[in-house]
Amino acid sequence: MAVMKFLCDTKRCIECNGCVTACKNENASAIGWGIQRRRVVTLHDGEPGEASISVACMHCTDAPCMAVCPADCFYRTEDGIVLHNKETCIGCGYCFYACPFGAPQFPKKSAFGSRGKMDKCTFCAGGPEPDFSEAERKLYGANRIAEGKLPMCAELCATKALLAGDAGVVSDIYRERTAARGAPGTIWGYTPTTG
Amino acid sequence: MFIKSLRSLFAMLVIPLVLSMGLGLSASAMAADEQSSQQQAGKTSDADLWRAVKSGESGYTVAKGVETGVLINVVGNEGEIVRNQYLTPVMGITVVGVFAAFLFFYLVNGPSKLSKGFSGKMVLRWTKADLWIHWVMATSCLALIFTGLNIMLGKHVLQPYIGEGLWASLIYGSKTIHDWVGPIFIVSWLLSVVKWMPMQTFKMYDLKWFLVVGGYVNFGPFKGKHPDSGFANAGEKLWFWSLTLFGLFIAASGLMLVLPGLDLPREASMAALLIHSISAVIIIAFTIVHIWMATVLSEGGMECMVSGYCDENWAIQHHNVWYDEMKDSNSIVYKN
Amino acid sequence: MRLTRKTDQAAVSNKAVLGLNRRQFLKSASLATGGIAAASMLGAGMMRKAEAKDIPHDTPTETKRTICSHCSVGCGIYAEVQNGVWTGQEPAFDHPFNAGGHCAKGAALREHGHGEKRLKYPMKLEGGKWKRLSWDQAIEEVGQQALDIRKESGPDSIFFMGSAKFSNEQAYMYRKFAAMWGTNNVDHSARICHSTTVAGVANTWGYGAQTNSFNDIRNAKAMMFIGSNPCEAHPVAMQHILEGKERGAKIIVVDPRFTRTAAKSDEFVHIRPGTDIPFIYGLLWHIFENGWEDQTFIDQRVYGMERIREEVKKYPPAEVANIVGASEEQMYRVAKLLAETKPGTIVWCMGGTQHHVGNANTRAYCILQLALGNMGVSGGGTNIFRGHDNVQGATDFGLLFDTLPGYYGLKTGSWKHWCNVWDLDYEWVKSRFDQEPRLGQDPMTSTGIPCSRWHDGVLEDKSKIAQKDNIHMAFFWGQSVNTETRGREVREALNKMKTVVVVDPFPTMAGVMHERTDGVYLLPAATQFETYGSVSASNRSLQWRSQVIEPLFESKPDHVIMYKLAKKWGFEKEFCKHIQVNGDEPLIEDMTREYNKGMWTIGYTGQSPERLKMHQENWGTFDIQSLEAPGGPAKGETYGLPWPCWGTPEMKHPGTQILYRTGREVKYGGGNFRARYGVEHNGNNILAEGSYSKGSEIKDGYPEFTDKMLKQLGWWDDLTAEEKVAAEGKNWKTDISGGIQRVAIDHGCIPYGNAKARCIVWNFPDDIPLHREPLYTPRRDLVAKYPTYEDRMVARLPTLYKTIQDQDFSKGFPLIITTGRLVEYEGGGEETRSNPWLAELQQEMFIEINPADAADRGIRDGDDVFVHSPEGAKITVKAMVIPRVVPGECFMPYHFAGVFEGKSLEKNYPEGTVPYVIGEAANTVMTYGYDVVTQMQETKVSLCQVSKA
Repeated sequence: MAVMKFLCDTKRCIECNGCVTACKNENASAIGWGIQRRRVVTLHDGEPGEASISVACMHCTDAPCMAVCPADCFYRTEDGIVLHNKETCIGCGYCFYACPFGAPQFPKKSAFGSRGKMDKCTFCAGGPEPDFSEAERKLYGANRIAEGKLPMCAELCATKALLAGDAGVVSDIYRERTAARGAPGTIWGYTPTTG
Repeated sequence: MFIKSLRSLFAMLVIPLVLSMGLGLSASAMAADEQSSQQQAGKTSDADLWRAVKSGESGYTVAKGVETGVLINVVGNEGEIVRNQYLTPVMGITVVGVFAAFLFFYLVNGPSKLSKGFSGKMVLRWTKADLWIHWVMATSCLALIFTGLNIMLGKHVLQPYIGEGLWASLIYGSKTIHDWVGPIFIVSWLLSVVKWMPMQTFKMYDLKWFLVVGGYVNFGPFKGKHPDSGFANAGEKLWFWSLTLFGLFIAASGLMLVLPGLDLPREASMAALLIHSISAVIIIAFTIVHIWMATVLSEGGMECMVSGYCDENWAIQHHNVWYDEMKDSNSIVYKN
Repeated sequence: MRLTRKTDQAAVSNKAVLGLNRRQFLKSASLATGGIAAASMLGAGMMRKAEAKDIPHDTPTETKRTICSHCSVGCGIYAEVQNGVWTGQEPAFDHPFNAGGHCAKGAALREHGHGEKRLKYPMKLEGGKWKRLSWDQAIEEVGQQALDIRKESGPDSIFFMGSAKFSNEQAYMYRKFAAMWGTNNVDHSARICHSTTVAGVANTWGYGAQTNSFNDIRNAKAMMFIGSNPCEAHPVAMQHILEGKERGAKIIVVDPRFTRTAAKSDEFVHIRPGTDIPFIYGLLWHIFENGWEDQTFIDQRVYGMERIREEVKKYPPAEVANIVGASEEQMYRVAKLLAETKPGTIVWCMGGTQHHVGNANTRAYCILQLALGNMGVSGGGTNIFRGHDNVQGATDFGLLFDTLPGYYGLKTGSWKHWCNVWDLDYEWVKSRFDQEPRLGQDPMTSTGIPCSRWHDGVLEDKSKIAQKDNIHMAFFWGQSVNTETRGREVREALNKMKTVVVVDPFPTMAGVMHERTDGVYLLPAATQFETYGSVSASNRSLQWRSQVIEPLFESKPDHVIMYKLAKKWGFEKEFCKHIQVNGDEPLIEDMTREYNKGMWTIGYTGQSPERLKMHQENWGTFDIQSLEAPGGPAKGETYGLPWPCWGTPEMKHPGTQILYRTGREVKYGGGNFRARYGVEHNGNNILAEGSYSKGSEIKDGYPEFTDKMLKQLGWWDDLTAEEKVAAEGKNWKTDISGGIQRVAIDHGCIPYGNAKARCIVWNFPDDIPLHREPLYTPRRDLVAKYPTYEDRMVARLPTLYKTIQDQDFSKGFPLIITTGRLVEYEGGGEETRSNPWLAELQQEMFIEINPADAADRGIRDGDDVFVHSPEGAKITVKAMVIPRVVPGECFMPYHFAGVFEGKSLEKNYPEGTVPYVIGEAANTVMTYGYDVVTQMQETKVSLCQVSKA
């Protein structure tokens, strides 16, 4: 069984934000002004050591959002993609507090009560509604996975820094690259152990 | 720097709680980590970069929103673990445990009877305003407890057994009710604290009350003891002060959670969530005790909050100091 | 792992077909949360309803191959169209330039199919209100006003601002259009982009273009980026650059700022803005001192290096450190690295070109490469990255005040060549121009007014300019005037003109920053996705771009608008003499075929529409490493037939990926430096010595080919009878049969001759690059030693140098200000700031300032600050306090506009066209300063003061 993952190669990421607008483009039906499912963060901006990393939902194997959600609106697909059901989401914001990557976002800037239906990266895999249905498109955007394609952000990455796909394949690509560069095979500073 | 100070704030708020609950998160380790991340800033090796990422250092991003510059939200995950691994089971155990303990106590011990029976003469104990405050607070509190319990435990105890649609409406309803009832509770809580505080100061005799477990035990050395107590007995005072303190916590943290417009950093929100849960555990435990005491364990107790009057014998047995003071000052008001 | 289709789409389509609409934003209120977004969400209410159509998912999809219109890398895109609506964008993994990759702009390209902030129909400003016009009425009014001005003030009183967003065909037609109107007052943003490169580099070795390709950078072992920040300006180029780095290449970034590219470098050299020449001479000092130069290369192929060697002696390490600011150790290290790591390439962009000594900067870079012998080899060269998607093409087609298409110049011979191609009577074309010499210059054969200074053409005393009258009317055809410096004068000129015409998909600044109440026309032009044609990437490859959608709203493609105006002006027959016209639309393929017949100088002759379309259909057959097709229908050809693609299309020249490559036969894209400046200078031979392209039958240098030369060589009879007729009395540039080129190439020779590159450009004011302090310099101590020029006449306009430099502004304005790009935006920014997917990412105009300077001024990150210009203007922007810039230097992006000196211009826009993001234009505070050769504006170094708002 495939386990889908993203991986951003910081040696190649140039903060061009192509992944950000690729996501907006592909999921335009579901996300408007104010929601960016993906963002690029640059550490040590403007000084030696500057490095950029594209980040969105990492589709964690042990997802804190899923664990903390009181509505239990998250589910994992057979490809290991963490999706959620906007019909069940109550807009409490707990996933936002818990998520290590700041992936969950809320469309409403309400002053009181619910934050509205949470939105996050779907790995371009839509949601629980039938594939390609109008409801799916409106709530979650594209379903490229069902079309046999990978997420738009990675497919359009200018420098092939952002990789998406089966964890094994992705880490093989990355390992090959780092081996070629003579650097130790680490991903995000961790040695990859899980898929 | 703002972020760093929040981290410390979070550490201050949560770590003592965590430590007190026996968790192995060490504040010093966290502080050391922070220091090292500061030292590393500006250096260029990969390891330094990843250390910065993992320590939650903030960077530049064009994304708008709360803390979008932070790649890894360190405390979020820790908070989630605290909540899920500790607070959720603690809550479950508290609700079931306290209820069961009192049920057991009731079955073994039986209620605390009026040793002289009912006198039939009713003494004014609570004004209409007091009754209103109490019942508004009681109702809102219960609503919050039930909805809150659903939010915290529902997905473990309810959701697996009901349909998806029903669950969705139930949890959405819980969240909505919890949000809107909260302010009502806060107002009634505030009124009760202000209004009732003068009667809740601890006295020396309250100590004795504890020593004999309030005289509710119908066996062993405690049997038949009726310790001194004023308008409120020591147990009630404890309940009052707990409610005051944890009510403050739960209200403040609740406001933090229910006002997304504040755009709080996630550390603060997670801290609020944990404080909210911990406070809820304590308040719920007391509430169960309170309800047991008022309804079945103390004969004649319930009547006070129904009509505002208590039986004179009940007053003498349970609140002798108050009764004596009233009698001395000739201020007893009887029901017509 | 292989992703498999898990859902049977057919099954879905059997269900009730729900209206699926990717243009959800039109209905969605959630979009309107940003400030301006909320205010102007509801447009004029006449959106073409194709927008709102519901497109079911299973609607048949047409896939179009198009090219991104944002920068000169030329990324390919698959555009998916359903029911005429652009519903999807898929990565072109098989495209040889980008392999599917895109930056923020490319990845947001599909928004062009929405265009809700676009100009919807022709409009005119009347009594302070925008009024809708029909196309006929608009053309009639605009055309008549031009004719009236022509009658009174002559043809030169109309200024034709063109665009690098035109396709090649449109650019060609626009130049022809201006010619037939009778003026050389035609220019476009290349003037303020790489005009100094074109002049400097072409005068060094023949052609002023990128010598290699983006893909070829993969083969470099060292790369030096000077005044170039591809991470933001050419992000997809980084794919090749980083690939090269991963293969072991060393990256050197030379810039005033620690850019995103610098973050990827092995060596970052900070130089003070405006010190490129001393920096290059500083490197050459070490190279000559240590004998690291390639002497064989210099002896065979370079003229005048001795003069440079002498000049470089004036730049010892201590002097360089003093001027430039880079340490002596670093200079040595960089020089050594470049000398020892070959092949090495130099990349430069606006940081090098936009200076009052820009042409000399570009020559200096070339000289460094010549000294190192890095030219004409894979992995070497000067990889000059152009800006806009078709700025290379628009430049090649002479959308410039000083050339005709193909850099033919403005001499009578050039005019006669093009009249020959157009099949028009030269006398007729001549009659279109002002016949009187003005200040000694003949209007037809003298340089016009540049894009950078059209406002001086409006405002300057008319007795001082070399034309009959001031400019009274201008067409801003696809160009945003906030890209020009001296914002106050720009506004004043807009106010003063009789008529302002904006032809653009968006209203742009010329339409809104004036204070007029009348006399402004807005004509909605279609984007390149609403028409088709060819586009030249920076690497000289031509790519065919298919039409994706029909023109939105009432917009029309540029060539249609030109034709309509030509009709009004009565020269449409001449304009399209050999071009089929359908309705009002001239046939694009015929335009291509026409320029194929005339563009001999730079080899735009072999790229017929058929060949270009064949390449377009076969993206995947070209190898991303070599850019050549190992097989398939384009076998042996280089992708996009990069010019020079010699001879006629039938010759099947494969295009020239790497210029001046002697290691290859000319017929396979080889060559050598061009013989453009005669055969000798001051008695010295300037033809190549002992160096020639592979297979050349002339084993030495040779001059450019003419009919006489063919006869002398005994090759004349290789021409066919018809070719002989066409070639008689002509040369390789003017023989429209292509026979001379064919024969030369058959003999292994390159038509333009084989000469040395020259370090001495004797026809320029500085024959070798000399350091001259910027006009606004904080280093007053260096002014005496490195002064600027005396004030002088450049082209038609008096131009100030010394007058400005003599004033000391360094006390009141101690900070150096430089400007540049943001990855999310492009050019003047109207288009990109109107794209919500991009606009969301950069919502505020800002200035980068070092923490030390900020602290001195009590400024904190995110504060509002004033930026004061020594010329008086003051803008309000956000402070970004960051060590990216060093103390004493500041940076601003130049894409913002819509706010002018603190005042929002929002109310000046026609309803529904205010971009999502507006802000102060950096160029409002950028100052005077123009290149002495090309009139490039100085936007990369000036002075300013920053204070808390």
